[in-house]
Amino acid sequence: MIDGILIGLSTAFTFQNIIFVVMGCLVGTFIGMLPGLGPMSAIALMIPVAASLEPSAGIILMAAVYYGAIFGGSTSSILINAPGVASTVATSFDGYPMAKQGKAGKALAIAAYSSFSGGVIAALLLLIAAPYLASVSLSFQSTDYFALMVLGLSAVAAFAGKGEVLKALLMTVVGLMLSTVGTDQTVGVPRFTLGMIDLVDGISFLLLVMATFALSEALMAIIKKVDESKREAERKAASELGSMKITKEEVKEMVPVIGRSSVLGFIIGVLPGAGATIASFLAYGTEQRIAGPVKGKEFGKGSVRGLAAPETANNAAATGSFVPLLTLGIPGSGTTAIMLGALIGYGIQPGPRLYIDQPDVFWSVIISMWLGNIILLVLNLPLIPHIARVLAIPARFLLPLILFFSLIGVYFVSFNTFDIQLMVLFGLAATILRLLSFPMAPMILGFILGGMMEENLRRALLISDDSWSFLWERPLTLSILLIAAACLFVPMLSPVIAKMRSKTQDAPSAD
Amino acid sequence: MALSKDRIGGLLMLTFCLIYAWQSQNIKLLPFQLNSSFHARTMPEVLAVLGVGLSVLVIAFPSDKERFTLTGQKLGLGLAFLALMSAYGLAVRPAGFLLSTSLFLTIGFAMLGERSIAKLLLVAVPLVVSFWVLMNYGLSVFIEPLPAFLRG
Repeated sequence: MIDGILIGLSTAFTFQNIIFVVMGCLVGTFIGMLPGLGPMSAIALMIPVAASLEPSAGIILMAAVYYGAIFGGSTSSILINAPGVASTVATSFDGYPMAKQGKAGKALAIAAYSSFSGGVIAALLLLIAAPYLASVSLSFQSTDYFALMVLGLSAVAAFAGKGEVLKALLMTVVGLMLSTVGTDQTVGVPRFTLGMIDLVDGISFLLLVMATFALSEALMAIIKKVDESKREAERKAASELGSMKITKEEVKEMVPVIGRSSVLGFIIGVLPGAGATIASFLAYGTEQRIAGPVKGKEFGKGSVRGLAAPETANNAAATGSFVPLLTLGIPGSGTTAIMLGALIGYGIQPGPRLYIDQPDVFWSVIISMWLGNIILLVLNLPLIPHIARVLAIPARFLLPLILFFSLIGVYFVSFNTFDIQLMVLFGLAATILRLLSFPMAPMILGFILGGMMEENLRRALLISDDSWSFLWERPLTLSILLIAAACLFVPMLSPVIAKMRSKTQDAPSAD
Repeated sequence: MALSKDRIGGLLMLTFCLIYAWQSQNIKLLPFQLNSSFHARTMPEVLAVLGVGLSVLVIAFPSDKERFTLTGQKLGLGLAFLALMSAYGLAVRPAGFLLSTSLFLTIGFAMLGERSIAKLLLVAVPLVVSFWVLMNYGLSVFIEPLPAFLRG
């Protein structure tokens, strides 16, 4: 391993590669900040540039763009509640309320420190555990993946407020339904395409996210009568950002959250197909549970823990997702899938032999992760006041611009005007559901996991000869499913238990 | 039964789930799939049942009993923006990126209360042109800038 680290250091710390990391972080942050353009678009746009470089330099550049875009996405989530990617959706839950309270600077600083810590800790874990983690991932079967998806979905109960579990679950099911639109992956049968050729490939994830978040958020702002004096005050507070200093109490609150979320994010990121989204949602849900009834109530209203947890976890998972990519040749996420394509383009076959055949590529990517995280922190914190000026734009200019970036972000991926019409339709539906207080995040999670869940369930049934016994025969699958059941039913039962407790407490006093 | 937010939402969801369930029966099954325990219709059918069940539960046990009201909201403006976006989608190809986007932004700013024509044009046009230059020359993403009748 020491040899590997030395190879990585000598490759990553060349002047040229350091420049690529700096450039990648900057470009990634800029693109990721634009609503509608996330890491996938950023990396895809970088492929022509990376193709002209040496394999290790090209991969280092794309990895830096990836981190930059994730951080940029967090920035737009916090400032304008427009997450360009699913992995930063959870960031907006508490980051945006903080920005609305005039603590945008603090929110961005917490996000920067959390991302940095998550990335650095995960890179350390990757360095130590990469060879061993590959064998752990290899032992996972379709049944375990299916169970893991169920666990991810049942975590929606954690996001739901009091009495909101049913609505959250319903929205998850709607997300799963939307994921079934398009050609069935196994036998190629079209489903719910309504005879339209544009729906044969299914609904684009980016389209759905932009329609349900950025577009409907802007529409809600248009529909609701804005109190201009209040808006002016809000804008002034946001442009001033407030202090970026984090108090000692807040640091104390963040440190254990960062520790837990880094490990959780890394582990989830390592699992092929899981990725940063599940990690951020799970970390958010876990911290809400751990926080207890008093601190737990602050979640969704600008909680420090609620912001630090998903930010740490998504960066840790982004690092972790390189493990299956580099060691197994399986992409851990959509973004790493694009990178897999780029590696194959270089003539490199990712897999267990990558260590042996191309150690410079493997180790330099790992080392560049540290470098990238340091540069992100050094670059982003000083730039925060400039980035935050986007909020100083008056609403009459900002709202049409958000609509434009959302529409064009989706259009630039497909160049299909049908997508714009579909987006308008989803935007309308999402706005109506928002007006009726239905949550959107569970739907997105259901949509992301739907396809993978069906594929793994189908594979598991095929392996077990059409028998459902795999659900209880394999201990690992059963354990994950039991945790999922606990996630689902504990929130449902907790009001009942609380009532029973209060009754038992009241009983002696009545005597 | 009062029409609270939850109940209206539940009814809308129930309608959606019933249409989904009906459409799921239109999925064609290949001959070898007919006897298998998991086929192209399985997941949609399970989801339809879950969706209908959960919608009924939301209607029967609403957590939010607040009556739904639209007073104080500019619904017409929201619908006008949806129409504007749809029109932009239809116009972006034939009218070209520069003209259609400049019009989209100018009309959008004006709809939200900007009355100064100079400001409308000075914000929209340079922004659209610089965005196009950035995409075209900076990131090599080409999008047709001119209307169909001006193209060579």
